[in-house]
Amino acid sequence: MASRPTVTIISKDGTPSGATHPIPTVFSSPIRPDIVQQVHTGMAKNKRQPYAVSEKAGHQTSAESWGTGRAVARIPRVSGGGTHRAGQAAFGNMCRSGRMFAPTKIWRKWHIKINQSQKRFATASALAASAVAPLLLARGHQISTVPEVPLVIDSAVFEGGAAAKTANAFAILSAVGASVDIIKAKKSKKLRAGKGKMRGRRHRQRRGPLVIYDPEVDGTELVKGTRNLPGVETCSVYALNLLQLAPGGHLGRFIVWTSAAFKALDSIYGTTTTPSELKKDFLLPSNVVAQADLSRLINSSEIQSVLRAPKGTSLTKRSGIQKNPLRNKQVMLRFNPYHSTFVKKELGQQKSEAGKPPKTPEDFLSVLKED
Amino acid sequence: MASQVSADLVWEIVRSNNSFLVKRKASGGVQFSRDSLNLTNKNSRKWAGFVNDKAIGVAPADKEGVKVLSKKTSASNKPTSSISETVYSGGKSARKTYVAVANQAAKSNYRADLREAAVARASAIRHSYKTPKPSPEPKLRGPKAKKAAE
Repeated sequence: MASRPTVTIISKDGTPSGATHPIPTVFSSPIRPDIVQQVHTGMAKNKRQPYAVSEKAGHQTSAESWGTGRAVARIPRVSGGGTHRAGQAAFGNMCRSGRMFAPTKIWRKWHIKINQSQKRFATASALAASAVAPLLLARGHQISTVPEVPLVIDSAVFEGGAAAKTANAFAILSAVGASVDIIKAKKSKKLRAGKGKMRGRRHRQRRGPLVIYDPEVDGTELVKGTRNLPGVETCSVYALNLLQLAPGGHLGRFIVWTSAAFKALDSIYGTTTTPSELKKDFLLPSNVVAQADLSRLINSSEIQSVLRAPKGTSLTKRSGIQKNPLRNKQVMLRFNPYHSTFVKKELGQQKSEAGKPPKTPEDFLSVLKED
Repeated sequence: MASQVSADLVWEIVRSNNSFLVKRKASGGVQFSRDSLNLTNKNSRKWAGFVNDKAIGVAPADKEGVKVLSKKTSASNKPTSSISETVYSGGKSARKTYVAVANQAAKSNYRADLREAAVARASAIRHSYKTPKPSPEPKLRGPKAKKAAE
């Protein structure tokens, strides 16, 4: 990169404040959906609570098999008499009131350990993807009213708890064009299909913008100001979470940065050569391919200079294609020089001069059919 | 600033899963795109307008007109200003509209490969404004015709 691109810092009314900031190096880290997805599936499992069926379920009876010779299956049967239950099959997973197959245990492997370097790679990757407008569109964010991606708002806007009230916070977000995405999230609230409704997951809705702030400069009032805005989430820049940066493992979350948080990224992540100030032994991953633009590569002088010149012109005559002489007159004439005379004299249309063939004589037929 | 990330990389990330993609099991699993910058509504590298740096979209406009959207390469990370809109009103003759659309797609080194599709889409939009010709009354056949003739 010859010159580091900069990002405009946007003021309260959505216009450029005049200040800019060079884009932190973390935004040029490799975008790897495979790593992000793998880390996301692992991390998403780390908030689970163990569940299991009762250890005793299906085994609270003294059933014994009747053995062979009774013309019934050898499954254990409830002993005794006097109730309908007696003689019914028990224990098996195919039985009514039996135990389930492979009863769930609380010692299932609920949580997944993910290597720290992988988690950091995935976070850096998700951050890089959040600065690519097509990826935001592909995730479904409404960004047509957003002046710039990544969207950085001046921290002065949030000073002194200016976003402590929801109305104020919404006014700030709508001034910078983020309200369309919030409204989309608000309208998307639907009742969940299935049993999840009764398990604390009653509704499902889209995710809106993620507001990333620096708690030391911006304070934490904006958390309370935005928490009732549907779809909007907040996160401290020092504690970024992949589950928020790439919900569902899909890259390209719409992020609203405060300028202090955006500036802090430099020190949090460092560069590919200078280690991070806050993370021990962390260097940003570098791209394997320096130039990923295929047409740029193909049209580069380095490649074009070693290519053979194309053979023929843009309209190369292809041999080996056979044209249909019945449709193509020139091809027909090549095959059949007589064709032009044939057509000109209309020989194909003339009736034969001999007329109809003579009828078979009656006596010949009678001889032929004689028994 | 041109986009930091190449369109080829973006396409590899989004080709199988994006918000514009419509997958149906019918007809051997067709895949379409709802992208407004997609001229054929097919989910493919060439037509994926939101991925490409340069892209053309053609949409209906007011008063039987045709609206042409095109992407500015200079503002790829500025969504508010990245798309320019040109409206050709319905009053303009068909030929002039198509020439204008074709030029917008192909002139000044934009996307010559989209010219034909852009014109075809503009033509289809213009065609959609026409009120269909009323279909003739079906002729009676057989006994019904005999009855009607009496």
